[in-house]
Amino acid sequence: MKFNTALSKHSDEILKLLKNARDKDIKLNDVMSMAEIMMNSMHAFFKSMDVAVYKEMRDIATYIEKAKGDISNLQANKLKGEHIPVAGRELDEVVAATERATDIIMENAENIMATDTSDPIAYQKAVNEGLMNIFEACSFQDITGQRITKVVGTLKHIEERVSKFASATGVQDSEGVFTEEEIKRFKRQKDLILHGPQAEGKGTAQDDIDAMFD
Amino acid sequence: MALNLSMEVLVVDDYKTMIRIIRNLLKQLGFQNIDDAADGAEALGKLKEKSYGLIISDWNMEPMTGYELLKEVRSDDVLAKTPFIMVTAESKTENVIAAKKAGVNNYIVKPFNAATLKNKINAVFGES
Repeated sequence: MKFNTALSKHSDEILKLLKNARDKDIKLNDVMSMAEIMMNSMHAFFKSMDVAVYKEMRDIATYIEKAKGDISNLQANKLKGEHIPVAGRELDEVVAATERATDIIMENAENIMATDTSDPIAYQKAVNEGLMNIFEACSFQDITGQRITKVVGTLKHIEERVSKFASATGVQDSEGVFTEEEIKRFKRQKDLILHGPQAEGKGTAQDDIDAMFD
Repeated sequence: MALNLSMEVLVVDDYKTMIRIIRNLLKQLGFQNIDDAADGAEALGKLKEKSYGLIISDWNMEPMTGYELLKEVRSDDVLAKTPFIMVTAESKTENVIAAKKAGVNNYIVKPFNAATLKNKINAVFGES
C-alpha cells in the first residue's frame, strides 16, 4: 500500500475512533487502538522510504565505485609522482645540455675569429681544432632529441588518461579556479602582450614586419 | 642621425647566449663599444648613467619587459630620441603594432641573421 493511501485510510480510522469516543471516558483500549493505527501509518511510511532510500544509496555507491575506477585508471599518483617529475628533469637536462653546447660552440667560434692569421700553419691547426670541438658539441642534438621524445611520450600518456577520464565521467569544463598568482601572471601576459614564440608559419613574417616600417 | 661605429650600444636580453650572439654580430659589423643588461630595469639604470647611441632589446624579460623599457625611454625627455630596435620571439602582429605605437624604430623577429641585424641598424640610421 502506498504511503499516502495508507495515511488517508489510517486518518479516517483515527477520526472514527475519536468521534465514537466523544463524551465518553477514554479507555486504555482506545489509546492502544490509536497507537496501533499510527504504527501502521508509520510502518507504511518507513517501508516506502526504505525502498527509495536504498535504491538511491545503491545508485550513489555504484557511481562512487565507477568514479573510483575511473580515477584509478587515471593513475594520478603515478603521473604526479613519476611521469611529470621525470619529464621535468628531462627538460632541465635539455636546457642544460643546449646551454653547454652553445657555450662550447660560441667559445670555439670566438677563438677561431680571434686567431692570429700571420702563421698559416698555426692558424690552420687552431681552426681545425676549433671546428672539431664544434662538431663534437653538436652531438648534443642527438641526446636532447631523445630526451624530448620521452617528454612528448609522457605528454601523450597524460593526454590519453585525462581524455579517457573526462569521457568516462562526462565531466564538463568549468570556468576554472585560478590561484592569485596565476591570475596575476595572466594579467601580466595580457597587459604586456606576452605570447612567446609562435609555431612555424603562425607568427608575422619578417618581410611583413619590414613592410610596416617602410 | 648618422651611424657611428664607436657609439655605445646597449644590448638587453635575459639570455646570456643571446647577448653573446648579438655582441659578436655587432663586433663583426664594426661596433666597438657594446654594453649589456639582463632586463628592462637594469637597462634603464644604465641608460640614466651613460649616453647610448642605440638600444637593442628583447621583449619578454622579467621584471621589466623590453616593451615597458621602450615606453619608459620614450617618455623620458633625455632618452626619448635614442634609437630602439626590438629583437624578439614575439612575432604576433599585435606586438609589432604595439611596439610601433610606443615608438620603436625597428623590429626583428628571432631567430635572425647578421644581414637582418645589419639592414635594420642601417635603416634606423638612414644608411643604405
